[in-house]
Amino acid sequence: MRPRVYLMVVLLLIPLQASFLNPLSLGGVKPDIALALLYIIGLLTGPIEASLAGMGIGLLQDIGSAGLIGSTGITRGLIGLFAGLLGRGAIDINSPSNSIFLAACSLLEGICSALFMQVVYGSVPFGSLLIGRILPQAIYTGLLGAVLLHFLSNKDVISGLVRHAVQKEL
Amino acid sequence: MPGFIAKRKKVLIILSLFLLLFWLVTLQVKNGRFAFLEKPVLAVSGFFERIIIWPFNTVASVGNRYVFLVRTERANERLLEENERLRLENGVMNEILLENERLRDALNFKRLHPPSSVMVQVIGKESSPSSSTITINRGSDDGVEKGMALITSAGVVGRVQATLPGTAKVILLTDPASTLAVRVMRNREEGLLEGKLESCALKYVSYYADIQEGDLLVTSGLDGIYPKGLAVARVVKVTRHEASAFQAVVAEPAVRLSRLEEALVLLK
Repeated sequence: MRPRVYLMVVLLLIPLQASFLNPLSLGGVKPDIALALLYIIGLLTGPIEASLAGMGIGLLQDIGSAGLIGSTGITRGLIGLFAGLLGRGAIDINSPSNSIFLAACSLLEGICSALFMQVVYGSVPFGSLLIGRILPQAIYTGLLGAVLLHFLSNKDVISGLVRHAVQKEL
Repeated sequence: MPGFIAKRKKVLIILSLFLLLFWLVTLQVKNGRFAFLEKPVLAVSGFFERIIIWPFNTVASVGNRYVFLVRTERANERLLEENERLRLENGVMNEILLENERLRDALNFKRLHPPSSVMVQVIGKESSPSSSTITINRGSDDGVEKGMALITSAGVVGRVQATLPGTAKVILLTDPASTLAVRVMRNREEGLLEGKLESCALKYVSYYADIQEGDLLVTSGLDGIYPKGLAVARVVKVTRHEASAFQAVVAEPAVRLSRLEEALVLLK
């Protein structure tokens, strides 16, 4: 993708996540649109570009939040890398199993963040965090990803983007 | 060797970026969180958040003003604000009463005064995997400054982390970076309340201290941010381990943070 598109996506992601998704909040849990989008970027572009996008998105989210700057950058970078590798050889973009992989990515990221907080801040209530926040958000994000992919594939956006990516590779 | 590097250039760049981020994180663990780029990011996200929330507010506002009576709606707004203030004053008064009962013979005791405040609306709720913050629609233009307390009639919400004209970012009580000096209302035991994302933990409470489930924790006023006597959280779980000198106390915030829409910023 072009840097201008990335800049626009990244700049809009934080306010979108913070404001636009509030009506979708269930018991304080919102789907992670940034993660869903990163996963799609990974499937479409490849591991290197998705990893860079993940680091950029995560870094901006860190700056926009109160967390340590760089922590989400690392996890999102790794998820971008994973999604890129997945898209390159293992999974079709229209496959329904994408939502399961996306939910798994969200779950893994949540667990990694909780472990990271355990190291930095100490005594994190891991069980309640997993049941009350990490797991519901992972499921919700997986569903959102499925809806997004379904919408994109219906509009023939994906085939256009894939064509563009293939042309770029050639 | 140069051939290997040229071949794996992109991979090496990604690897070095990961190492750079890791180095940034370890630096912050040691020296505290960096605040660089915080204001530009807040400026951009705050701007877009106001634009995004504007249609929702406009539709809601038009509905309220023309479907219902204009005067009733305005009076309701004014009364709600007044009610918030009175409940806050009432909370502080109760604390004064308790103090007076214990110290009625003492002279020259410093009296508590409810501080002036500004009503704010929540325009964004950020939920990154490792932090809990919100964005509010008032900023430095309205006298909101870094470090000011955000409360509702139910209790403490958090404190202002960064401000810009027209917007500010607030770090919630449940954020891992949030610490707050509190006291158990029943027996005046002191402790430090730390955010744990879904709940809070009361730290440095002696093994022998009398803490019970259901105890209300109030601000002690020792941190210089929150006035004394505001409700903060309620104890939901107490665990004692013989190997530890302290108790493990879990507390739920008094305010339902997931449903927060309006709050008051206490101006210094």
